[in-house]
Amino acid sequence: MSNDPYKILGVSKSATQADIKKAYRKLAKSLHPDLHPDDPGKQAEFQAVSAAYDILGDTEKRRRFDAGEIDASGQERADQRYYHQYAGQDAGARYDQGQRAGFGPGFGGGREEDFADIFSELFGQRARRGGAAHEVHARGNDLRYHLEVDFLDAARGSRRAVTMPDGKSIEIAVPAGVRDGQTLRLRGKGGPGIGQGPAGDALVTIAVRPHPVFVRDGDDIEIELPITFDEAVLGARVDVPTINGPVSMSIPKGASSGQRLRLKGKGIARGKTTGDQTVRLKIVLPKKIDDEMTALAERWKEAASFDPRTDIRRKT
Amino acid sequence: MTLDERTVVTRIERLTLRDLRLWVREGWVRPAQGQHGPVFDDIDVARLRLLCDLKKDMALPTDVMPIVLGLIDHLNRTRRDLRRVTEALDQQPLEVRRAVIAAVRHRAEAGD
Repeated sequence: MSNDPYKILGVSKSATQADIKKAYRKLAKSLHPDLHPDDPGKQAEFQAVSAAYDILGDTEKRRRFDAGEIDASGQERADQRYYHQYAGQDAGARYDQGQRAGFGPGFGGGREEDFADIFSELFGQRARRGGAAHEVHARGNDLRYHLEVDFLDAARGSRRAVTMPDGKSIEIAVPAGVRDGQTLRLRGKGGPGIGQGPAGDALVTIAVRPHPVFVRDGDDIEIELPITFDEAVLGARVDVPTINGPVSMSIPKGASSGQRLRLKGKGIARGKTTGDQTVRLKIVLPKKIDDEMTALAERWKEAASFDPRTDIRRKT
Repeated sequence: MTLDERTVVTRIERLTLRDLRLWVREGWVRPAQGQHGPVFDDIDVARLRLLCDLKKDMALPTDVMPIVLGLIDHLNRTRRDLRRVTEALDQQPLEVRRAVIAAVRHRAEAGD
């Protein structure tokens, strides 16, 4: 294909901006990729036409192109994903046969089990649809919500109210252990049905805000617990936060940084099973080391022959 | 990925907040409802770009938009259905696939 934007749009060098716009509109209407989703040739042509119009449609860019300051390439639109590339996937079901004014009655509404006509015909339901054709019964629309919940609310479960644009409010029971990105389906909480059709569902997508201390791994919770030098050496009983409040835990004598201790049943309770909490120890020294600690360390260094790096040396 | 109204308008240069709200009201784009207003994901943003192409670049009149969108939505549903049928067909034994292809070809030739 020619690289010359004038040739691509089929206009002369002396064309007015109005001529260029008109030429572009005409081509865009016949080539738009969303109007020809399975025709990669048309998509390539449309991209060339768009790129040409990006230059010629803008008087300043056109002047610079005419003056040779910019070339026809490098102006091409970034590799944009077109609507049909999403709509051809399962996510596209949301926009099936419009659910509001101007689209006709709202059938389906993108529920997985709603088969399109083609499937009904495949499975021989065509005959059943005879008679009473003027009586329309259809399932109501699905309504979609996006709900952000705090980490602890997601871990323990909670009840939340969501307000719809029309001011109505629905209460949502967020189940314990809900995952980030999970969608809850509330049967019958969507739009009203048409005729004797059932109401649609409310689809609530959950976003979980991360927590500064707790990290989730399945139904297990992991935290990093800072301990002092003396707690590590002598062992200690300390309070450890869990998603259900602090519990007392014993640190064994001679604990090391990175050591993991398990608090059984202190994770997320979901159904019959409950996860655990893993506590990762981290020995933390004070910012300022006092004389006593320095003296202690020097005395210990003299006497001890402990080398924690023998293993590393052997393996490298 | 979910975006609020303002972020969407920044991301799509041609789109004004006024048009965005109007199109949502018309039902041309259907974002999920968040606690602080509508939230848009990838497919909504791609659809908004398409709406800009249709409404702004091609200058389609407002009363024609529902018809065009209805056809596009229908087209995409059909494509999705066709893809599912094709995928299901791909899982069938070779002789079944051959028989189906032969039957389809026969109908096409017969002009059915």
